[in-house]
Amino acid sequence: MNIQDLNLMQTRRELLGRTSAGIGSVALASLLNDKDMASAAGPAVGRAKRVIYLFQSGAPSQFELLDHKPKLDELHGKDLGPEFFKGQRQTGMTAGQKKQVCRSIYRFEKHGDSGAEISENLPHLANVADDICIVRSMQTQAINHDPAITFFQTGFQQAGRPSMGAWVSYGLGSETEDLPAYVVMISEGSSKRDSQALYGRLWGSGFLPSAHQGVKFRSQGDPVLYLTNPDGISRTQRRDILNLSNALNRKHFEQVGDPETITRIRQAELAFRMQASVPDLMDTSSEPEHTFEMYGEDARTPGTYAANCLLARRLAEQGVRFIQLYHRGWDQHGDLPRDLPAQCGDVDQPSAALITDLKQRGMLDDTLIIWGGEFGRTVYAQGGLNMDRYGRDHHPRCFSIWMAGGGIKPGITYGRTDDFSFDVVENPMHVYDLHATMLHCLGVDHEQLTYKYQGRRYRLTDVHGEVVEDILA
Amino acid sequence: MVDSLSRLTQTPAAICVILLSLPTLMAEPDFDAVKSLLESRCLSCHNTQDRKGDFSLETHEQMTDSGQVSPGSPEESGLLQVVLSEGNEAPSMPKDGTPLTAAEAKVLHDWIAAGAKWPASVTLSQPAVTSFDWWSFQPIRNPPIPDVQTDTASWLTSPIDRFVLDRLQKKGMQPSDRADRRTLIRRVTYDLTGLPPTPAQVEAFVNDKAPNAWTKLIDRLLDAPQYGERWARHWLDVVKYADTCGYDKDKLRPNSWPYRDYVIRSFNEDKPWTQFVQEQIAGDVIYPGTSDGILGLGFVAAGPWDFIGHVEVPESKIDGRVARNLDRDEMVTNTLNAFCSVTIQCARCHNHKFDPFSQEHYYSLQSVFAAVDRAERVYDTDPKIEQRRRELTAAQTDAANKLRNLEKEIADAGGDELKQLNAEIKTLSDQTNPKDKRPEYGYHSALVKKNNIAKWVEVDLGESVEVTHIILNACHDEFAGINSGFGFPVRFRVEGRINAGDKLQVIQDFTGSDFRNPRLIPVEAKPAAPVAVRFVRVTATVLAERQNDYMLALSELQIFDSTGKNVAHGKPVNAVDSIEAPVRWRKSNLTDGIWPQAEKPEAFVKLEKLQDTQDELLKHINTPERMQRKQHLEQARDKAAAEIGKLPKGRVVYAAATHFNRRGNFMPTQGVPRTVKVLHRGNIQQPLDEVSPGVIPLRANSDWKLPLAENHSEGDRRAALAKWITDPNNPLTWRSIANRIWQYHFGRGLVESPNDFGRMGQQPTHPKLLDWLATEFIQSGWDVKALQKLIVMSATYQQSAKMTPEQIERDPKNSLLARGARFRLPAEMIRDNALAISGLLVKRLGGPSVRPYQPPGLWKDVVYSNVPKWKQDHGDKLYRRSLYTFWKRSVPPPNLQMFDAPSREACVLHRSRTNTPLAALVLMNDPTFVEAARKLGERAMKEAGQGDEERLTFIFRLATSRRMTDEERPLVKNVLARARKHYSDRPLEAKKLMQIGESPADDSLNVIEAASFATIATVLLNLDETITRN
Repeated sequence: MNIQDLNLMQTRRELLGRTSAGIGSVALASLLNDKDMASAAGPAVGRAKRVIYLFQSGAPSQFELLDHKPKLDELHGKDLGPEFFKGQRQTGMTAGQKKQVCRSIYRFEKHGDSGAEISENLPHLANVADDICIVRSMQTQAINHDPAITFFQTGFQQAGRPSMGAWVSYGLGSETEDLPAYVVMISEGSSKRDSQALYGRLWGSGFLPSAHQGVKFRSQGDPVLYLTNPDGISRTQRRDILNLSNALNRKHFEQVGDPETITRIRQAELAFRMQASVPDLMDTSSEPEHTFEMYGEDARTPGTYAANCLLARRLAEQGVRFIQLYHRGWDQHGDLPRDLPAQCGDVDQPSAALITDLKQRGMLDDTLIIWGGEFGRTVYAQGGLNMDRYGRDHHPRCFSIWMAGGGIKPGITYGRTDDFSFDVVENPMHVYDLHATMLHCLGVDHEQLTYKYQGRRYRLTDVHGEVVEDILA
Repeated sequence: MVDSLSRLTQTPAAICVILLSLPTLMAEPDFDAVKSLLESRCLSCHNTQDRKGDFSLETHEQMTDSGQVSPGSPEESGLLQVVLSEGNEAPSMPKDGTPLTAAEAKVLHDWIAAGAKWPASVTLSQPAVTSFDWWSFQPIRNPPIPDVQTDTASWLTSPIDRFVLDRLQKKGMQPSDRADRRTLIRRVTYDLTGLPPTPAQVEAFVNDKAPNAWTKLIDRLLDAPQYGERWARHWLDVVKYADTCGYDKDKLRPNSWPYRDYVIRSFNEDKPWTQFVQEQIAGDVIYPGTSDGILGLGFVAAGPWDFIGHVEVPESKIDGRVARNLDRDEMVTNTLNAFCSVTIQCARCHNHKFDPFSQEHYYSLQSVFAAVDRAERVYDTDPKIEQRRRELTAAQTDAANKLRNLEKEIADAGGDELKQLNAEIKTLSDQTNPKDKRPEYGYHSALVKKNNIAKWVEVDLGESVEVTHIILNACHDEFAGINSGFGFPVRFRVEGRINAGDKLQVIQDFTGSDFRNPRLIPVEAKPAAPVAVRFVRVTATVLAERQNDYMLALSELQIFDSTGKNVAHGKPVNAVDSIEAPVRWRKSNLTDGIWPQAEKPEAFVKLEKLQDTQDELLKHINTPERMQRKQHLEQARDKAAAEIGKLPKGRVVYAAATHFNRRGNFMPTQGVPRTVKVLHRGNIQQPLDEVSPGVIPLRANSDWKLPLAENHSEGDRRAALAKWITDPNNPLTWRSIANRIWQYHFGRGLVESPNDFGRMGQQPTHPKLLDWLATEFIQSGWDVKALQKLIVMSATYQQSAKMTPEQIERDPKNSLLARGARFRLPAEMIRDNALAISGLLVKRLGGPSVRPYQPPGLWKDVVYSNVPKWKQDHGDKLYRRSLYTFWKRSVPPPNLQMFDAPSREACVLHRSRTNTPLAALVLMNDPTFVEAARKLGERAMKEAGQGDEERLTFIFRLATSRRMTDEERPLVKNVLARARKHYSDRPLEAKKLMQIGESPADDSLNVIEAASFATIATVLLNLDETITRN
């Protein structure tokens, strides 16, 4: 441990010490459950040890996937007058146009013992319906992509705050010595739309120490930036170089006594190990045939969502704390009948496979999986009611996600929206609540995980958020 | 329900003592205590605006209505019950804060028990901190220099040391010895120039026997041009300088670099800090006619800017107003954080919770920046042209201001009567919305830039018809807030003819005077006697205004024959032109039988009358004199703009600007400040009172409004703020800069929160030293270099950084300064260091940003449509100092980011210094460092003679400023031998290594030797010692 770690730990201890009256033993224990701190406290009591967040960037439509609205068949084509919107914001894209109710062209059926209603677009998910918890009553604040994704990631619409993965890494530390605690992977969707920008700040550490930032694993070039030795430097050469620099660094440490020097040696060694472990991890050729049957043939192609799901499982096995996938291309303003099934084709089988795979390995109980986008879509069509080419605009007031494993009650559907999926009528779950619940599953009290910056204690949920007890196992 | 008294006593045991004697001690409670409790613990949610839980506690009446208080019955009062705990459960209120103490709960209990009396006319308000009893607000007094004694030689060379030693001795600690000369020259060269000393410089200093050797060294470094580059980098972090705008689109900002160069030059010229501050806030006003006066304004514009919120969304929309509010917030925050170390931004949504700043103070500061935006601004290096440009801009602003005053004068002349009339007209207009609005709006001509271009539209009845009267129905479109009467002509004629070639007969002429917008009242045109026509035409001679353009629009034209039948219905329509944008706009809509009809037609009758009155009133107000004045002013404004357009183009800097070319919805204010109001909870939709320009109070009852003349210009506001900041008596400014400069020499400030001197910030570790430095700084004429010299001349600065376990134990952060500071070099310096050592560094100052090596695909990974591609530069541009590397906020240079370079999206005052495997990978594998290593190896072969010993020594001296030790030698030589063997067996590998990076390998050198020395150079570039300032 270096001095900074020491300071960090002191900060957390000090915080916990100061507020120990108010903090549950759960959070206290798990806050300290860092590898380095394991001796200081017992094991974490949270059900989940890690999170796999399957972020669907662009915002998938709830009407075509998880929020069945049969009434729309009758109301199809009806004009929604201004009174319907109660002065709510609409995007510039449809603010001026006529708002005609648009039904979904896809069939929904009840699945599993739980009778979860899932559309025909997600047949594989339907097969694991009893393992997931569908939340139909998600709510957010932002109406445009970047602020909405930023809000999901950091609890704030403007850039600059730490991302949820960074908070988790800061709060729980790492369980692996060969890999970063927070790993991000991105895949392109099959829809042909311009994709939303995904900036590095979305998995940044904000004002937290930068060691907690997400590390993006790339599918092309080096999987981690600068991972590969340059041409002309072999692994044995690298070993020689490190041996010498470590030896010289150690001598330097003897002179100046700065623990930071020792950390530098350790980090260079970790880098060296990563040079071997990351390519190993990324190389899925040794996976048995049935893995690819489960995740689909796409899982053989690096950079696909399927390949990333498989990697997510491998990362989970290695003890990576927060694994975040982004799948782009869900922004169906038009041509939904062409693009949405294509997107579902990308994600349905691998997402379901991930659940099954983790379950088979006995890891689903301590892995929290979350699947969903940054907001929902409108009940009215964008660009006319042509059912071959219709689309839907952004809608922040309700949308659907699903969760599985890691302390979440399986086989339930939580929350209800009105006939238009315009408003939540039962059990709203705000993004802040999702954050609070996610941290709770990890054994962390969202109100206690704070960091002091510029004179204020910040937390992921700001001054909001409530744990949604109803969906806890 | 548990009796509340017993629950009171159930809570913390210590409190029971107080409560045991409760019944007897219950006296008439003091309302002030109740008031302060309610204000501080309840009112932030239960106020008139928010009414959480649907009640407010601001007034007695509201408290009674709330039903939360039953006077005389604490047990039945919800207010008390919710703050008490039930068993082990935490109380449910206050929702987000610590529970009330038992003593506090008792105050409420007693007050309710005694009847909950509320003195008449007392209204509660949310708490504001008013106390100035805090170190940073106290005047800077030149503190006496402590009288201390010590045996340590070389100590006490400066008053600084006496302050430091005084504290150390009080803690029973001893300072460290002076560091050796090699360490010292390395330390001070990094600190002052950001680059390593050359071996020759090291030897010269080490061997310099002159007593003023150190002074000479300092003077040389302060005079080096690289000094400005090094210190500019600190400042650019504070102001969040970058080459893109940030936010979603992160558009390029191609002209921000002249500000960066201005900062470099200002440091190199040792510009007095007052001037530097003033130029950056109001250089155009305080230093008119100078290019630095404009360039400095890049400060105001340096931070991120929301392209969508400004360009794509108009200021009239909520999102547009939010964007502009946040933009001003950024300006205020940047200014006050950077110069005064005050977290004023905390007062945007509520009064500052810890420092004595109210929302009104905060918004008064916003008002200082109410007229400026971030945009490109011309500056001239020719003072004559700069002067002319300034005069013309002043004339333009003057005219714009006078025009606004004239409008106000006209409004005032109408007095309350006109105001009331306008309000009533507005209310009525809102009632005249159409019922059942259909999407088929009507006919819409093409847009033109002038209102006097005639436009016509006509109906072909197919045969000659005896027409008795014609009705024109206006359109309704919310565009630009116009609504009813959209596009209805201001002057027009209704005409007709039987054959297409005939002369048009006038049916009725409306061109004699302006026709008042009829909104949705049908307008009738009637010939003197029924007239036979086949074509009926409406010709507009003066068009309606839309948004900076003009056009003709009509919803329906009805033409009646003598039987009263509308013969126009469904008939074909011709027009001079038409925008044809179905379904809303098309010619055929004019006769489709669809037009907007008013919901409450009776409102029109009233409206007519009111408008008659208004017309009458305006006739008196819009006197010919005023109208003429208006015309003159408009001409003056336009003439100045035209003249500016004719000036030579000048150069451009991205800066605070009031005059610039419109871009979409992003329009210049022309120097006319926007209205700024206090916003409840920072919400743009809940404006409270308007504010005038002001600052923050520095002591109780101090005047915090800026002294401005009634007719002041917007620039006067900024100038007044700049002068307030640079007032020698402002205690914040001088402590702030003295602390920053200290921080950049020691790795941490005397105050560890350099942007926050408030109660949530840190207190100074050496308050007297800080004040002494601030005083010296003021007395030196705000001379930054002099202050730095003062600091580096001290024994405190020159101490050895060696850490003993005892020191780490007693003072891990080194806040008492018992040793020298030691920290890893910041990102830019790690790269610059490698470039300098290898001889690759190109030392040219300034110019547009450059794009050195970066892994492929990084910009593409985040791409948003239409964002330019990353294109790597070549040649010299690969080897400039990192300060010049192109900075894209969303994708900062990765090899710098791994060493904690900030993204420049939020202000970073204190870069973290992490130590991660990702950073280790940069040093190992980034072509920048591999190339530097092979060039360093080549240098050793070419410059250091033939032997291994000489060559290795050469590399050591360049990288670490010292020779190889006897202990190190065998280890190094062993690896060198292994590398030789490795590359001898694999000459192709050696060749490949020597081709990393774009600088050509020196073919005259043996490639196996070159690769082997490159291996050693790699080790040296990776060393902790090499990348650490010791």
